[in-house]
Amino acid sequence: MDQDTAIGGQNRHFPSTQVSLLDAAASGLSSEARERVIALYWKPVYHFLRIKFRASNEDAKDLTQGFFASALERQFFERFDPAKASFRTYLRMAVEHFAANQHTAGNRQKRGGGAPLEPLGEHADTSPSPEALFEREWQRQLFSLAIEDLRGHCAESGKLAQFSIFEAYDLADTERASYADLAARFGLPETTVTNHLAWARRMLRGFVDERLRGTTASPKEMREEARRLWN
Amino acid sequence: MKNRILIGLLLGLVLGALDGSSAWFYPEARPVLASIMVGSTIKGMLVGLFTGWFARKVQSTGWGIAVGSGIGLLFAFLVAATDTLNGRHPYLEIMFPGFLVGAIIGFLTQRTGTGPAKAEPS
Amino acid sequence: MELSDSVLDHLRHVSELPDLTGTRYELESEIGRGGMGVVYAARDRQLNRLVALKVLDAALAGEPQLIARLEHPAVVPVYENGTLADGRAFYAMKLVKGVPLDGYFAAPRPLPERLRVVRRVGEALAFAHARGVIHRDLKPANVMVGEFGEVYVMDWGVEAVAGTPAFRAPDRELDARSDIYACGALLRFVLSTATPPALGAIAAKAMSADAAVRYHDVSALLADLDRFQAGMAVEAWAEPWWHRLRRFAERNIVLLVLLAAYAAAKFLLFFLRKL
Repeated sequence: MDQDTAIGGQNRHFPSTQVSLLDAAASGLSSEARERVIALYWKPVYHFLRIKFRASNEDAKDLTQGFFASALERQFFERFDPAKASFRTYLRMAVEHFAANQHTAGNRQKRGGGAPLEPLGEHADTSPSPEALFEREWQRQLFSLAIEDLRGHCAESGKLAQFSIFEAYDLADTERASYADLAARFGLPETTVTNHLAWARRMLRGFVDERLRGTTASPKEMREEARRLWN
Repeated sequence: MKNRILIGLLLGLVLGALDGSSAWFYPEARPVLASIMVGSTIKGMLVGLFTGWFARKVQSTGWGIAVGSGIGLLFAFLVAATDTLNGRHPYLEIMFPGFLVGAIIGFLTQRTGTGPAKAEPS
Repeated sequence: MELSDSVLDHLRHVSELPDLTGTRYELESEIGRGGMGVVYAARDRQLNRLVALKVLDAALAGEPQLIARLEHPAVVPVYENGTLADGRAFYAMKLVKGVPLDGYFAAPRPLPERLRVVRRVGEALAFAHARGVIHRDLKPANVMVGEFGEVYVMDWGVEAVAGTPAFRAPDRELDARSDIYACGALLRFVLSTATPPALGAIAAKAMSADAAVRYHDVSALLADLDRFQAGMAVEAWAEPWWHRLRRFAERNIVLLVLLAAYAAAKFLLFFLRKL
């Protein structure tokens, strides 16, 4: 896996009770808010830039770094109005704005003959659309972070069996084994397998909610985003 | 619940008198108009009596009309049989309207006390 | 680690499923999604029957208590309410087999049947209002018609979240009058294109933007529906004279026919004499 794009995916230990984004920004923990946002949004922004602006891997990385380095400051969070859009949409639009500015200012270092940045038109026929892709990558990263949280939690509390079973079943990309197979493989009764899975999923849901709470501005927005997430 | 016999009597009186008064249009009957009206009134009241009594026993508009028209026809026949007009019994002139007046009285005695007609209940 | 698309979708699905460990229920399938949560079909292990399990995605604990106070044939009975292992609130209620209102009236139905269903909804509303319960989110999706024609009104007491705006009153605060608005909207919804003007007027009165103009309570609306079906004048509509005459004629058709026959008989006899 590309190490550069793993920046947002490293295991981080956030406090277990997460205040909402605006609360964090308001109370002067803006660096913490920045960290949370970067952890979740780095990869989605990167993928979005690659598709929407047809940027190369290098250019997209540069732009993503540039965005998070400069565009996120306290006013960024204060200007956000939850009534108008979700934070996710707000951030995405800020990215577009930032990228377009880079293009017109012309202060981008061309590397290896990369093409100038031009965003795709409104109805470009990529499917999914860049906006949908952004949301998808955001979902992906959200779950990735939550899984890492779960892994860390299990490691700390000695629930290694639970995580292994969860990893073997729910994270399996190929055809999933049956509960009976898992029971045999791990030498556990099938009911235990069921319970472990239920526990892990419950915990995962909790971690996803926590991450979500930390990047939304209000309980209402969180509920809306959760509803979209669980579709 | 109102006394249907009383209502029947009242209806029969009014409608019978009205029916009888229509004999006025027959010039030859005008001299005896008063007696015709009395006869019609009594006829109507008798029909009203019977249909009113019937309405207390049976709740059915259809049967009310049937009984009213039947009894109306009967009494009209009796009157026509004992009456002469232009040298013949005025069966048609008396029985035809009498039948209808009886039907009306029969219908109305069924209707009173239950209020206006209702559409099919939901 | 990189989550593939299939794994991501799988995770989204399974981590949302309600964790029913510790309850007496076994998850069967998802039935539908409402404004406040997801409804599943579940099996009650102890009583061995299917129930509807509504899992709330936010703390809306008020609702089950509200419904529990209502015992009415049109109100779906609540069996139990509690908290899942994952912290979400849920309640178990009777699993209603039927179709929602929009599906039921997609097929052609005679007018008396349409009015019957609206009447049942109105009766449930009147019952609830008398006990201090407002529905707040009445709409076709919240009315079910069972296989034998039973009518159920569901999802009581929760403010419409992403609701259908057509059924939501323009009032600032939702109260009994807003329910009346929604009832009028339901009536309008249920009526097909060829609506008698009296019924249209009833719906319009119930749906007045000014809450004071609407019916004072649901019973008044139902009374107007009664009057319509009895062929009488309706409070909501000032009918033109010829319509009133036609109504009178329809109601008294037998009498008018008999009188007409009498008059015709008299005329006939009179003119026959002339011959």
